[in-house]
Amino acid sequence: MSVKVEVIEGGIPHQKIMIAGLVSTLVCLYLTYLNVLTNTQMFSFFGGLAVVTALIWGSHTIKVLCSYGIGTGVPSAGMIAFGSGVIAMLLATKFGAAAPIAALVLAAVIGFILGYISNNILNMKIPAMVQALTEMAVVGALSLMGFAALITGGFTFETLTTGTVSLFGMSVSSSQISFIGGGLIAVAFLLGAIAIQHPFNATLGPGWKQDRMLMLTAECGFLSMIMAAIMSFALISTGAALLSLIVGIIGWAYTYNQYICLSKRDAAAWLDAKMIPEVEGH
Amino acid sequence: MSAVAAKPQAGGAMNPTAMGVGVVMLLIILALCWYVSPTVGLMALIGIIIGGVLIGFGTHFVPVGGAPAAMGQAPGIATGVAMLAAGAGLAGLFGGAWAAEQGLMVATITGGVGGGLMMAITCMMVNFVYVFGMGIPSASGKVAKDPITGDTQAEYKSQGTEGHGLPFVSFVGGVIGGFLGGAGGTLIYLQLLTLYEATLPAVMRLPATQVLPIAVAMAGIFAVGLFLVNAVLTAYNITGTIEGPHDPKFKRWPRAIVASAVASALCGFVAILIVAI
Repeated sequence: MSVKVEVIEGGIPHQKIMIAGLVSTLVCLYLTYLNVLTNTQMFSFFGGLAVVTALIWGSHTIKVLCSYGIGTGVPSAGMIAFGSGVIAMLLATKFGAAAPIAALVLAAVIGFILGYISNNILNMKIPAMVQALTEMAVVGALSLMGFAALITGGFTFETLTTGTVSLFGMSVSSSQISFIGGGLIAVAFLLGAIAIQHPFNATLGPGWKQDRMLMLTAECGFLSMIMAAIMSFALISTGAALLSLIVGIIGWAYTYNQYICLSKRDAAAWLDAKMIPEVEGH
Repeated sequence: MSAVAAKPQAGGAMNPTAMGVGVVMLLIILALCWYVSPTVGLMALIGIIIGGVLIGFGTHFVPVGGAPAAMGQAPGIATGVAMLAAGAGLAGLFGGAWAAEQGLMVATITGGVGGGLMMAITCMMVNFVYVFGMGIPSASGKVAKDPITGDTQAEYKSQGTEGHGLPFVSFVGGVIGGFLGGAGGTLIYLQLLTLYEATLPAVMRLPATQVLPIAVAMAGIFAVGLFLVNAVLTAYNITGTIEGPHDPKFKRWPRAIVASAVASALCGFVAILIVAI
């Protein structure tokens, strides 16, 4: 039986963050389905917002899990979240329009079994383990699906594996230029995995504040969204990609600014140090 | 309960009931796989399980020091289990993937050599930094004599530390661990690649040349996912730091074998379902 090192003091309870994160991620993912209904790609940026909401939920889950001394470092939690998430997400894309729900169910099953393995077979005996690994697999699967929707405009297996390449003015269907075939999924994997583990890793300690960590998560999420939006220029129309990029940049600028404000609030003292002046005559 | 009182209990005790449940889960997943894809799928799944077990077992050899090692207070490489295992395994996976066309045996061994080489370079550079940068000798805190060279350790160990640097046995352990991890990762990749190359053209109704990038990328990302799951589960088994094969924590490997086998079977089964349904 491990000992809880830190306690959550005040702030929003985890249950509330979990439900809010799950619902808003699913809603954002389904909003990208407007692409199919209206036959455009302008709604792809909702995929990026799904990533941000899922990451906010996931980083708080990591906080709950890593408050118990698991002794393996916080990054490992992000790695198992996306390692188990990518497996569930890829199978879920086969289910067409039901993909987000399928990803949720599949990832929950995989995460639950992995939680059982670590808690019972590996004898970790951490009370939050099973629930945390279940949640993290779901977060990994849903945020990868959000990246997929942001970059390709859809989340079905066909959209993720087919792309068009223009050859002498003709557009030819090619699987090389696609989310999976082009290897963009690997970049999305690490963009998410780093964004989910960094916030708690950076803000943990006696001065930990929930709002500051969650703001940092949102900032990391929007930063990942900017990267993914740049990649999406290759696969979706320029207008839609530009819209995602602008949403990403605005979101990043706002959250970064807020994060700096919160850091100033929590710092013991804030000294606006100037650059070292260059003195002439050296 | 204080943190000090809780520490010894995170020990190496086995849980026989949970181990039994794990084996039953493994058999159920194998049976399900036989049901959905009796020939190609089952063969691939068995290969994936062997690969996953190799990763889980191999990770125990790697000398992981964590944060104490960075301060020269514990032996090993100064980072976490998951990072080291992922580094060695992915280096091996890339090496093995280049040799994928030369057959299963050659590619798997190439992957192993890639992983072992990566760990050998890491261990050597780590020791350079320890000896010439931080000015500390290599000494193990867990054993009185190095099991391979027979050198005594106690004279070189600073008081108040658990040893420091990278003793010879840890170096050898790192290379063995890298070899096993790289070979396991490559084995998983090859099994999935063979499966997808054989079945994806029919599933996607496209010619084989068109499907090849999809097959390679999917096998690759699944191998990475499986690798990270196995590496993190092994990290949970070790809980923190390990010096190498001579460390008492090494005796926990049977738990990791069962855990890796079940986790790889589960994730591999999901990967096979993509082409089976």
